Amino acid sequence: MIESPSFKTTNLFKRMMAEYLERGVAAKEKGIPIAWVTATFPVEIIYAAGLFPYYPENFGARIAAKKVAAAISAAAEKQGYFPDLCAYARCGIGNAFSIKRPVGEVLKPDVVFCSNAQCGSLQKWFEAAGRYYQVPFFLIDTPLIENTPTTLIKRYIVDQLHELLDFLELYTGNTFNFSRLAEVISLSNEACRLWNEILEMAALKPAPFGYFDACYHLAPIVAWRGTKWAVDYYKELKKELEERLDNKVYVIPDERYKLYFDHIPVWPRLRWFSNLLLERKALAVASQYTHAWAWRFDLNRPLESLVKNHTEVFINRGYEYRLEQKISLMNEFKVDGFILFSNRSCKPKALGLYDKYNIISERTGLPGVIFEADMSDERYFNEEYIKKLFGEFFDRLEREST
Amino acid sequence: MPARKNAKSIYEDFNKIVANPVRQIKRLRTGAVRIIGWVPTDVPEELIHAAGALPIGIVALDNPAVSRSAPHMQAWSCSLMRCALGMALGGSFDLLNGLIIPVICDTTRMVTGIWKQTKPYVFMDNFLLPKQIDRPSAKDYLIGEMGRLKARLEQFMDRTITASELCESIKLYNYNRSIMRKLFSLHTCHPELLGNKDMYNIIKTSMLMPKELHTNMIAELLQMLEKKVDDNKSGGKKYNIRLLMSGKVWEPPEIMNILDSLGAVSVGDDFCTGYRYIANDVPETGEPLRSLAERQFSRLPIAAFAGKCGDRTNSIIRMVGETHADGVLFVHLRYCEPENFDYPMLRDDLSASGIPNFRIETEIGGLPVENYNEQIKTFIDSLGGGV
Repeated sequence: MIESPSFKTTNLFKRMMAEYLERGVAAKEKGIPIAWVTATFPVEIIYAAGLFPYYPENFGARIAAKKVAAAISAAAEKQGYFPDLCAYARCGIGNAFSIKRPVGEVLKPDVVFCSNAQCGSLQKWFEAAGRYYQVPFFLIDTPLIENTPTTLIKRYIVDQLHELLDFLELYTGNTFNFSRLAEVISLSNEACRLWNEILEMAALKPAPFGYFDACYHLAPIVAWRGTKWAVDYYKELKKELEERLDNKVYVIPDERYKLYFDHIPVWPRLRWFSNLLLERKALAVASQYTHAWAWRFDLNRPLESLVKNHTEVFINRGYEYRLEQKISLMNEFKVDGFILFSNRSCKPKALGLYDKYNIISERTGLPGVIFEADMSDERYFNEEYIKKLFGEFFDRLEREST
Repeated sequence: MPARKNAKSIYEDFNKIVANPVRQIKRLRTGAVRIIGWVPTDVPEELIHAAGALPIGIVALDNPAVSRSAPHMQAWSCSLMRCALGMALGGSFDLLNGLIIPVICDTTRMVTGIWKQTKPYVFMDNFLLPKQIDRPSAKDYLIGEMGRLKARLEQFMDRTITASELCESIKLYNYNRSIMRKLFSLHTCHPELLGNKDMYNIIKTSMLMPKELHTNMIAELLQMLEKKVDDNKSGGKKYNIRLLMSGKVWEPPEIMNILDSLGAVSVGDDFCTGYRYIANDVPETGEPLRSLAERQFSRLPIAAFAGKCGDRTNSIIRMVGETHADGVLFVHLRYCEPENFDYPMLRDDLSASGIPNFRIETEIGGLPVENYNEQIKTFIDSLGGGV
């Protein structure tokens, strides 16, 4: 796990994450179905149906942060899965075939739910998991929303949520509880609101919190969204940040630059990148990845609202929309430069970045850098190449800011 | 009807079209016809045809063009899309009036944005196919999506597509597919008369030619070949091994030459540019948009779509039985995630069913063709074949 000793809340996170995992094991023992879900699946429905949601993507990130992705992936590669597949998937599959399990065992599913809003890799990975574990696989199919969401697509996804409710009623034998759904959605709203307020603190200069901190504290908004846990956790984190502001404790006290960091981090190199930027007094402050969970649900129209938030997420949007959103975040956080990560594990995020680099440069006039690596697998990480690339970027940043 | 040509000259015509798609597009643009390209796979060409435009599949590739896409697409992405974009950047498709890209994987999902940015056409469209195909919502949505595409085509072509026009196009396409199925059946029984390369080029050229013309040519061909069978003039080269093929596309095309030289006949496949393209028809009764959607849901399963009724393993095992194939040859494009995810379990399931199988990895403009001969020969030898 990534160390972030400067935050008191880090210890709380570790304790709660351990407890969450224990609860999963206990749920399994008690016969509560374990439901695999993806990050943008409307998990609120799963909670309301009384299942225990489990996030294999979070498991993949923990393997990556522990710097053992290549070793776990090897077990999947031995089975015939290729090193070019998404590393989260390779690690999830690899874990099933591994004997050594440095971050524990992935919780075996009783049912697999997937939304392909993020990518087709999740669809294929979860489909394979459904077959491997011989459990039902339910896909919420979310067609790409290129510009404005169409009635056709919205209706299609709402229809699928009704199919999901039918499926759950048959699966659990219970009538779906809409009152419980309203409670869960309220908790999601509260967690999302707190998360958003926390992220906004990175706009202060100097800031008490940055993108790399956000990556560390992101798991609850993904994995515990819809629970009181997430709300309690972010209340604590926000309180700590407010104390920091009162006491003038900042990530970089003499912060010089604010940067936009597009996408997910290189998990095994989170600290390494943070230090690389720190050396030049630069703080990464915003990213589409960390801001993707700043959702707001409408309790009066729960299903439509779940559809809107979970399927209109940036990763399911067209080229120009995503480009505009990047630039909008850059403006909102008044950044001095931008970093784009061409991630081998994530084609929906990486493809198009080469041209977007040029367009963002033209439209904003900001200096930028684009680098190649994998979010999890250090076999694709070339330290010297990245140091050189970032050295040139920072030199340009300094030249252009003086 | 007397044959105007002999079989060989028809094959040669087809080979020329596949070898030079740019020249083919130029030839087709000599009239006032508007050409709308489509990227594989599962785009309802009947709609384009009914709108009065000529649909052209981006299925014949120019390997050296791959490098042109390097400033725009990562080298670790699908070479099929890198090649298609590279060809567009080199001007190969400048005579197209429009382009439809179906979203069937993460690369096709993203390539439209890049294409629109780097090489826009007047008409561009993402055809958004449903990925789950078991539940009623998928059919309702697909009918709606067909309607959306129809409306866009009508606007672009400045005309209305009537139900009877669409029904006529469906009949034309069904008839073309039915003749190709007859040829395919003849190919599997008499590969010495109609070998792998020629058969698969017939399918590919059907995506590159006006259907009316293609239908006439293959109808003539079928007549000639059936006569040869009747006259017992089938003689010639022996094919000892029957292979079922699986993958996205049969690229590079040299693979079919290799099979021909080794005496192995491809008796079926789930390629988007192969038998899967001709395997089933659009129902000719009922509302035509609904019929187009119905065809989509009954097509041979591929990695892009998830669902019980799309169970690819069972489909392949069934095809092996029906075609009496000796084994399955997987032809997988490097970096194709959907195929990679399906492969290990497909392989294990086939092996558990006693079906020998082998995988080759290909890359357009990348991995050298020379490797495949030895690899395929080894597999065929293991099946007891070889010539």
